[in-house]
Amino acid sequence: MEPVKLSELVGRISDAIENRFTGKRFWITSEITDVKKKESVRRCYLKFIEKENNYINTEIRGVFWANYYNEIENFEKITGQKFSDGLKITCNVRVRFHPRYGLNLDVIQIDLAYALGKLELEKQQTLERLVKENPAIIRLIDGQYITKNNHSKLPIVFQKIALITAPNSDGQRDFKQEIENNQHNYIFSVKEFLTQIQGDNASKLILQQLKLIEKSKENFDAVVIIRGGGSQIDFKPFDDYDLAKYVAAFPIPILTGIGHDRNTSIVDLMARQHKTPTKVATLIIDYNMSFESEIEDLKERFFQGVEELIKTDKNNLESIKRIVKSSSPTTILKKGFSIITINDKIITDPKSIKANTQLKTILKNKIIHSKVTQKTEYENQFDI
Amino acid sequence: MKTNLTYSKAYTELEKLVEQIEDDKIQLDTLADKVKQAKKLINFCENKLRTIETEVEQAIKDKPEN
Repeated sequence: MEPVKLSELVGRISDAIENRFTGKRFWITSEITDVKKKESVRRCYLKFIEKENNYINTEIRGVFWANYYNEIENFEKITGQKFSDGLKITCNVRVRFHPRYGLNLDVIQIDLAYALGKLELEKQQTLERLVKENPAIIRLIDGQYITKNNHSKLPIVFQKIALITAPNSDGQRDFKQEIENNQHNYIFSVKEFLTQIQGDNASKLILQQLKLIEKSKENFDAVVIIRGGGSQIDFKPFDDYDLAKYVAAFPIPILTGIGHDRNTSIVDLMARQHKTPTKVATLIIDYNMSFESEIEDLKERFFQGVEELIKTDKNNLESIKRIVKSSSPTTILKKGFSIITINDKIITDPKSIKANTQLKTILKNKIIHSKVTQKTEYENQFDI
Repeated sequence: MKTNLTYSKAYTELEKLVEQIEDDKIQLDTLADKVKQAKKLINFCENKLRTIETEVEQAIKDKPEN
């Protein structure tokens, strides 16, 4: 048999495929691997694989061409998850054969609902496991996750802060700027525990920093975990079981500003969530301010009390003075009363006065010396 | 100033003083002392919010530069 040219054979394969697949689209669900994003040309190469018992039994190449590259960007933005190896996605594909590059699946669309659903399901499973396996530190009550950490008593003032963040990140800058330039001139000590905050190892690295902080826990009033600004992708480290469990049991209050409006991570649920780095800083400043205004209130009440105490005592003294003054002999004599003495002793009981007794009658400015001639009964008319 | 004074201690003591004065439990002859004590507690809180603690300062200084 006459051998044919390679191009002829491949051309026939191409024809066969085209006949069978041209103009057709398929929804597939598959794991992806070997993801290579070429952002400069807006293209992404990857492989779709299927495994059975950890053994890859099916594999085919896939491509996102420039027209569909925004599917990847959308995926990352909406799911908060990096489009990378190991993901399982549902997508719409076209089969294409190229005489040189072979068989390919061109990706036209990613099913975001599937991606979100899957992510949510995973998250839900992690949360369920956290509650089930750690009843002493995590409880689910009325849809709220009550943990040892997010229900620990807050210090009366936040001043010594352990900050976990990525070096030179927007979040770090926003937080520090807000804290350092607060209008009340409060001073904070912020000790930084810098670490990678996204990517495969991030949850382990954050955990390490928490362990480091725990070693000198008496030095801190609060732990602040910040990320934010910049890219919106990859929140997965904050849904990690081990990290979430550690956060839930952590002895110092943890405030999170992980900066994701759409999603609440599991770590957020285990700690106290404040969304953005700036919001965490504002909370800390306001918290101290409310303490200071309580002190101001007490100060006002105290000094008002002091003033009133002095005023009351002054008034009491005044009325005592008035009583003393009104009952003093001088006042009485001025009113026309007199004092009668016998042998310089004041007489209050007229029994000792008899006829011929020598009396001294003391008036306002004179003494009358006299002798008693008569003593008669008298009915008091001055009783009130 | 007492070195072991804390925000919570200062707050509790100040609250106690306010209660005493509002319930007329302070005698005039001890008033000067109480006022002094209250001023000390207030100053402590107000100043401490605006000064860094030395030991923390030290801890930060000890941190290796990266």
